[in-house]
Amino acid sequence: MNTAIEVHGLTKQYGNHIVLKNLNFTVYEGEIFALLGVNGAGKTTTLECIEGLKKADDGQIRINGKMGIQLQSASLPERIQAREAVSLFAYWNQTEPDPGLLETMGIQEFAKKQYVQLSTGQKRRLHLALALIGNPDILILDEPTAGLDVEGRIALHEQIRQLKAQGKTMVLASHDMVEVESLCDRIGILIEGKLAFVGTVAQLNEKIGKQYNISIRSEAGVAQFATEDIAETLLTLLAQYKAEGKGISDIHVDRGSLEQHFISMTRGEK
Amino acid sequence: MKAFLYGIALQGRLDIRSKTLLITCYLVPLLFFVVMGGIFTSIMPGTEATLIPAMTVFGVTMGALIGLPPTLVEIYGTDIRKVYQANGVPLVLGLVLCNISAFVHLFIMSLILYFAAPLLFQAEFPIQTGAYFGCLAIFIAVSLSIASVIGLAVRDQAKTSMVSILFFLPSILLSGIMFPAEMLPKGFAAAGRFFPASWGYPLMSGAVFQAELLIPLLAMFLTAGLICAALLKRISRK
Repeated sequence: MNTAIEVHGLTKQYGNHIVLKNLNFTVYEGEIFALLGVNGAGKTTTLECIEGLKKADDGQIRINGKMGIQLQSASLPERIQAREAVSLFAYWNQTEPDPGLLETMGIQEFAKKQYVQLSTGQKRRLHLALALIGNPDILILDEPTAGLDVEGRIALHEQIRQLKAQGKTMVLASHDMVEVESLCDRIGILIEGKLAFVGTVAQLNEKIGKQYNISIRSEAGVAQFATEDIAETLLTLLAQYKAEGKGISDIHVDRGSLEQHFISMTRGEK
Repeated sequence: MKAFLYGIALQGRLDIRSKTLLITCYLVPLLFFVVMGGIFTSIMPGTEATLIPAMTVFGVTMGALIGLPPTLVEIYGTDIRKVYQANGVPLVLGLVLCNISAFVHLFIMSLILYFAAPLLFQAEFPIQTGAYFGCLAIFIAVSLSIASVIGLAVRDQAKTSMVSILFFLPSILLSGIMFPAEMLPKGFAAAGRFFPASWGYPLMSGAVFQAELLIPLLAMFLTAGLICAALLKRISRK
C-alpha cells in the first residue's frame, strides 16, 4: 500500500509542557484514519503540525499528495457569501469555482447567504467544500461533525463515505466513537501526547481482550454484566434468574464498543 | 493576479455590507465636519482657509485608527487566519485588501468633504490642488500603516478599541487642528511629533508645498511597514 502521510518522531511542546511525544504513524492512500483522544490529548496539535499551521519541535512529516484541510474551529468574515468564499479560495488555489462542488456539497441552497446567517451544519459543509477545492488527494478533518444535529451528522458521514469511494485519503480527529467505528479503517489513540494504539478496531478488540457485554431485561429492570467467558456467565445468570423467579423479557449480548475500549485505555485500565 | 483582483472586488462588496465602515469612514467624520465646520467658522474667523485640510486630517485619522484595526482583528485575531492559511490564501492578503479598501473609502470621504466645505462654510480650496491630493494620499497611507500595526499587534476587539483611542486622541489634540501647535506646552508639542496628523496637517494646509514634512511621514510609513511584516511573520508561526 502506498503511504499518504508519514509521521516520524513528531514532538511538540509549549514552554515546558510537552504536548506530543515522539509520535510515529503512517496513513495509507485511500484509507480513513482517525485520531482519538480526550480533550488536550494532542489531536488538534498533531493535525496542525501535519497541516503546516504549527511547527514541530522535532520529527519529520512526509505528505504525498495535495492536502485539503477542514479545521476544528473555522471561521470566515461575517459578511462573505458562501459562493464568494468558494470563489475566493478557488482562485487562490489557481482553479475556477466549480458549480458541481456547490451542488455535491449541498451548498447551492445557501450559496447567496452570508456566513453569519449560516447554521452550524451549513458552515461545516461550506468548510468541507473549501477543503475540497483543487481536488486534494488527502483531506484532514478536525472534528468534522462537532456541533451538528443527527441529520447533519448523517449527511456529513454520507459525504465522507462518498469521498472515500472517490479514493480520497482522510485523517480525522473525533470524539464520536460511533462515527469513528462506522467510518474509519484504522485508528490511533492519543493519550497525553503519546500514541497508545494504532490499528484497526478489530485489532483494538484483540488487544483489549475479548470482553462481552450482557444486558438482561427482567421484571426487576435492566442489569448489565461484563465477561470474557460468555457461555459460562450466561448459563450462571440464567440459572440465577430462574432460581430467583425473575421473568426475563430480553437478553442482549455484544462485544465491547470502541468507546468502552477507549475509556479503558485512557483510564489506564489495560 | 485574477485571485488578487477578485479579492479586491470581494472586499469592496464586503465593505458595502458593513455598517461599521459606513459609520467610521463616512458618517462620523462627515458629521463631525458639519458640526465643527459650523463652530470653527463662526467663532474663529479665518478658519475657512484651513477648514478642508483640518477636517480631512481629522476624518482620515479617525477612519484609519478607529475603522481599520477591528477589521484586521476579525481576520488575524480569529480562526479566519487559520482557514486562510490552511487553504492556500496568503496571510498578507487580508492586510493588503483591507488597506486598499480603507484607502479608497477614506479618499472618497475626503473628496466629499473637499467639495462640500466651500458650499456649506465658504471654505477655501487648497492652493495647490495636485500637491494637496498627493499629500492626502500619503497621509492616508501613513495613517493606515499605523492602524495596521495596532490591528495586527493587539488582536483583541476590546483592547484594540482602547489602543486606537489612545492613538486617535493625541493625534487630533496635538496636531494643531484644535489648537495651534505652537501654543501647546513643549512636552505635548514634542509628543505630537510622533503622530502622523502633526505632519500631515501642516503639509496639507501650507500655502507652499514643504517636501521636508514628508520625511517624518515616510519614516513612519517604513517603520510601520517593517513592524507589520514582523507581526505577520509572528502570526504565521503561531
